[in-house]
Amino acid sequence: MEARCMKTVFVRPELCVSCRHCEVACAIEHSESKKLFDTIHEEKISKPRIHVEVGINYLTFPNRCRHCDPAPCMQVCPTEALYRDQETGSVVVDYGKCIDCAVCAMACPFGIIHFQRVFQLDSNREVNAKCDNCIERQKNGKIPACAEACKTGALEFGDADDLIRVSRKDFTTRLIKSEGTDVEVPKIPANVRAFRAIMAELAELQGEN
Amino acid sequence: MYDSSAGKKIAEKRALDKTDQEIMVKSMEDGVETVWDRFAGQQPQCGFGNLGVCCNRCAMGPCRTEPFGKKPTRGVCGADADLIVARNLLDDLTTGAAAHSDHGREVVEAMLATAEGHAQGYQILDEGKLHAVATEYGIKIAGRKKEEVAKDLALALLEEFGTIKGRIQLTERAPQKTKDTWKKLGIMPRSVDREVVEAMHRIHMGVDSDYTNILLHAMRTALSDGWGGSMMGTDASDILFGTPTPLKAWINLATISRDKVNIVLHGHNPILSDMIVKASEDPGLVKRAKDAGAKGINLVGMCCTGNELLMRRGIPLAGSFFDQELVIATGAIEAMVIDYQCIFPAVTQTAGCYHTKVVTTSRKAKIPGAIHKEFRPETGLDTAKEIIGLAIDNFANRNPDRVRIPEKPMQLMSGFSEEAIRKALGGTYKPLIDAIVAGKIKGAVGIVGCNNPKIKQDYGHVTLAKELIKRDILVVETGCAAIACGKAGLLVPEAADMAGPGLRSVCNALGIPPVLHMGSCVDCSRILVLAANIAKELNVGISDLPLGGAAPEWYSQKAISIGTYFVSSGVYTVLGIPPKIFGSSNVTTLLAAQLGGLVNASFAVEPDPLKAANLLEAEINRKRKALGI
Repeated sequence: MEARCMKTVFVRPELCVSCRHCEVACAIEHSESKKLFDTIHEEKISKPRIHVEVGINYLTFPNRCRHCDPAPCMQVCPTEALYRDQETGSVVVDYGKCIDCAVCAMACPFGIIHFQRVFQLDSNREVNAKCDNCIERQKNGKIPACAEACKTGALEFGDADDLIRVSRKDFTTRLIKSEGTDVEVPKIPANVRAFRAIMAELAELQGEN
Repeated sequence: MYDSSAGKKIAEKRALDKTDQEIMVKSMEDGVETVWDRFAGQQPQCGFGNLGVCCNRCAMGPCRTEPFGKKPTRGVCGADADLIVARNLLDDLTTGAAAHSDHGREVVEAMLATAEGHAQGYQILDEGKLHAVATEYGIKIAGRKKEEVAKDLALALLEEFGTIKGRIQLTERAPQKTKDTWKKLGIMPRSVDREVVEAMHRIHMGVDSDYTNILLHAMRTALSDGWGGSMMGTDASDILFGTPTPLKAWINLATISRDKVNIVLHGHNPILSDMIVKASEDPGLVKRAKDAGAKGINLVGMCCTGNELLMRRGIPLAGSFFDQELVIATGAIEAMVIDYQCIFPAVTQTAGCYHTKVVTTSRKAKIPGAIHKEFRPETGLDTAKEIIGLAIDNFANRNPDRVRIPEKPMQLMSGFSEEAIRKALGGTYKPLIDAIVAGKIKGAVGIVGCNNPKIKQDYGHVTLAKELIKRDILVVETGCAAIACGKAGLLVPEAADMAGPGLRSVCNALGIPPVLHMGSCVDCSRILVLAANIAKELNVGISDLPLGGAAPEWYSQKAISIGTYFVSSGVYTVLGIPPKIFGSSNVTTLLAAQLGGLVNASFAVEPDPLKAANLLEAEINRKRKALGI
């Protein structure tokens, strides 16, 4: 059997401007109506499964399920509620089997598992409602909602090897030319760097004083 | 269980002042949400918005441009980052200018009602200033009653808001060279309201699409505030309530009384609060307070209403913008009376955790959960008495077990109007100019503006002021910057010990502090008049003087307008918080560099107050060198 070529949402944190478009798009995609104006009125409000949170200096990392293989969460789940979708390689949850024990969350190396009520269940109990890699969209030829919503390229969907290659080539070019020109990965423009430097200074003042 | 040592550490990070820290810990123990918690809850904040490239004006949008050199580079209408940033900036600035000017208009309206004899409890207190301003407007004074003169002046000032004469009379206060610059650039303000309305027109889709042209109008709109609406607010308030003269008073959260009925007067406009001061002296109300078990009535100011009352009446000042929730958390506030601007919409929620009643007084500024007592000049005194009565009746509801009040208030000296500074110098600026020429004082910096959770409360203001006076640079302040330095003990003559030897000797000779409290944020107009008068005495423009401006902790759109009228008048200004312009290199470069070629002043952004002091000193030295001193 040929090795499965897993497509993933690759994160370039330096391009994240913390707009949280991805969070909103994710919440809409996993709602019952899949429409913004209806989503916010649903009985079980859909919460994002991708998390944009501040690290330091007001900089962010859009954190979502990496769909590991082997996946620690799958390995520890006592009810086998977590399983792998063979077609896309995604780790998905059978909400009906989930017993809300949170052992998967303890095992997850990225801390991305969270629990919420879902419209797919009749009951009001909370279940592991982590990222499902938008397999429904993928099967319809679309890319995951978060990557589609991202305007800056901080979230890019594709073959991990391909996406890494861009960064690798960028590094190689810089190393050889000793400068940052002609690279595929966009450089951070001077104005954005200036803004980030000021925010870093503010963050540092908060910390020190 | 709440860990109070952890709370103390958090408080030390959030605020500089010890009394603020003490009550902040209490607010955490009491589970009260404050501005710092809400700021944390908002993290991360949107980068498109922070960079200014988010446009949410029309129904084809919302749009944003990509900041890393990719697509989209234009919104649906075709606006690029330069245009989106410039339009957003003009929008913000205009909001600020409108706020100042509308405040100014209300004071002038109160002056008109007073002159016509149907304002209850008001009188024309400063006839000298009335005559001085009336003379500027060509109004006849000789042989006329002050009410007649005041009526003509009020009508002339109100006319400025929509004047068709093509200029605002008060701009005549600027030196000739400064006015010539404005004329050359086409930014002489034509009326107060017109610039605001035109700004709103220009930011409509398909009107002004040239970012430079938009920014020039931003300068004109700011000038219509500084040399128009704000200046009228200051002057009309002086005429009605008296021009401030130096006085001593008390400041910080320790000004709250343990045994009196505490009423906090918060907001910006003095027209109601000054009436409350008057009403609080009513023997009937004082007796009523005593009958309720209190020892009397304790009025304290907050934010710029507090500055107005401090400057003229010596009313204690409980704190600045960021103290509005903390003051309630003392548990000892019977009523917080608000007019408008910088009132947290959450203040009624905070008050709901205690017995405090929030009283809104302006038709323009209502808050769900507050008691509304509409203020009109015609019934001003009655409304003021009614509000005090309401506070007295609430005294019985105070729970002594939930009260904590810090021990030590700080003393401060306030009341430095332009007129008072001139008088202190002996009626002329010559002694100050001589001191500057001799290098005893290198120059002066106006530190103004607000609080912002992006920087520890008061740290930016106080550190910058201390650093500047150490370098023999005189500091003048308004707004929450002045409150910060008051709390930190910099507004007393003894603070001259912290100044460099030159500034110290001048302060000691005059008996003044090295940091002068010039009033509320509309009173930044006093700084303009001060600069203009010095420039005129030297026959130069304001931009030739060794001056600087700083807004280390600004948050408000009003601060954008103030900063812009400072720079447009020729005063280099350092902002401690980045404005939402970094998404456009062109706009940023224009404001930080190219403006220098037009008005001999520009903006800089520098959060670190020590580095900001370096920038300001360098600018002062540049201007000193150009003057040959």
